[in-house]
Amino acid sequence: MASRYDRAITVFSPDGHLFQVEYAQEAVKKGSTAVGIRGANIVVLGVEKKSVAKLQDERTVRKICALDDHVCMAFAGLTADARVVINRARVECQSHKLTVEDPVTVEYITRFIATLKQKYTQSNGRRPFGISALIVGFDDDGIPRLYQTDPSGTYHAWKANAIGRSAKTVREFLEKNYTEDAIASDNEAIKLAIKALLEVVQSGGKNIELAVIRRNQALKMFSAKEVELHVTEIEKEKEEAEKKKSKKSV
Amino acid sequence: MAATFFGEVVKAPCRAGTEDEEEEDEGRRETPEDRDVRQQLARKREVRLLRRQTKTSLEVSLLEKYSCSKFIIAIGNNAVAFLSSFVMNSGVWEEVGCAKLWNEWCRTTDTIHLSSTEAFCVFYHLKSNPSVFGSCPRKNMQITILTCRHVTDYKTSESTGSLPSPFLKALKTQNFKDPACCPLLEQPNIVHDLPAAVLSYCQVWKIPAILYLCYTDVMKLDLITVEAFKPILSTRSLKGLVKNIPQSTELLKKLMTTNEIQSNIYT
Repeated sequence: MASRYDRAITVFSPDGHLFQVEYAQEAVKKGSTAVGIRGANIVVLGVEKKSVAKLQDERTVRKICALDDHVCMAFAGLTADARVVINRARVECQSHKLTVEDPVTVEYITRFIATLKQKYTQSNGRRPFGISALIVGFDDDGIPRLYQTDPSGTYHAWKANAIGRSAKTVREFLEKNYTEDAIASDNEAIKLAIKALLEVVQSGGKNIELAVIRRNQALKMFSAKEVELHVTEIEKEKEEAEKKKSKKSV
Repeated sequence: MAATFFGEVVKAPCRAGTEDEEEEDEGRRETPEDRDVRQQLARKREVRLLRRQTKTSLEVSLLEKYSCSKFIIAIGNNAVAFLSSFVMNSGVWEEVGCAKLWNEWCRTTDTIHLSSTEAFCVFYHLKSNPSVFGSCPRKNMQITILTCRHVTDYKTSESTGSLPSPFLKALKTQNFKDPACCPLLEQPNIVHDLPAAVLSYCQVWKIPAILYLCYTDVMKLDLITVEAFKPILSTRSLKGLVKNIPQSTELLKKLMTTNEIQSNIYT
């Protein structure tokens, strides 16, 4: 059944599937992991950096992009599709600011991106965008937001989520460890994001990139050193917890 | 095959007449050159057994003299990584020979020398216990096959998004009496290619064999997929062969970093 109804986007299969959209979700799984966490006063985006080829300029391989001063997003999936979506979103942010004289809300720009993605699931001759995005930011009312979109054009608000390769493993980790205590302070939220990524990142802290937005502050990208500092802190805490455990069992 | 306006793929009717009329080949005789080319191609396509270090060919009879009680075969890069870091890391394995083949789809024309990107199979035997290895059916031999498949090949009524991938499924021959360490593969799923051939051979020749199939959504070398094979370490097939698990995990991590092939399409 799948082979007759999966070649064009405009065709439903007899049992109601849009196969191209489902296949686009497989393309998302080929991208490296990205995790987003909404804290009380901070939003954190962490991504697994792909190792760059020797002759490649590292600065041009970016998974976290600012859409405006107060909104940024991380994506997983086809690089070229992401570039197109990000460009359209950036233009929309500025156009909104010029027309309405207000910066976009996080929900508005997420809805714009999701509507764009949905259009491509309903036009003939086009294929869906093969990316999922995690969009974070603060609105004017000071409330932190985290949204996730997927190739079908749906979007939802989340407290914490992951996309890309092994996203399920990361999401299960977050379900177990996202507590009110865990996000009580900014530092704790950052550490939760790094811990979630370390579950699936194969070579440790040097392959993790982190970005945060705090209330009324601009986007801040962490340098490799700062990420390493947090990773060593986490490893120390792990060792201490294990020592305590072994003491208790003895 | 053609795509309609709405994108449905249909079989296009052929207006050139039926194909049966083309079968008469009177007047088409095979010239000596044709025969030569065909023979050369057949020679190139032979499966060769070699000793890798000396690059000399290995007689099949030499392989047959090794007795064997356990034969483990890993197919696909995740299964091979699991075997090399967990099983082959403990104990000293000696390479006995390798089998190399060539056909028209191979990218190189060199049929004698090996390179790491080509399809070949290396045979190892455990130095301390030479009965673990072999290539031909013997009595009291048990075969374990490890392989991987993409999770979208797994047919189920649930959506693939809700499956706990990667996960392990097993399929065993009638003579294999031990329990598998994971659920058996349900219908209508089938096994393909080399693992299926090995399992069918074992079923026909009444050799106890079990196939462990890991369904994963990452087909390239991936830590989580390789770790999904870990429950097999506790089964009778591999027990006694694995000693040092933490060291194996380190070795696995090293394998991951040395084998990363970068593509810029997906970020």
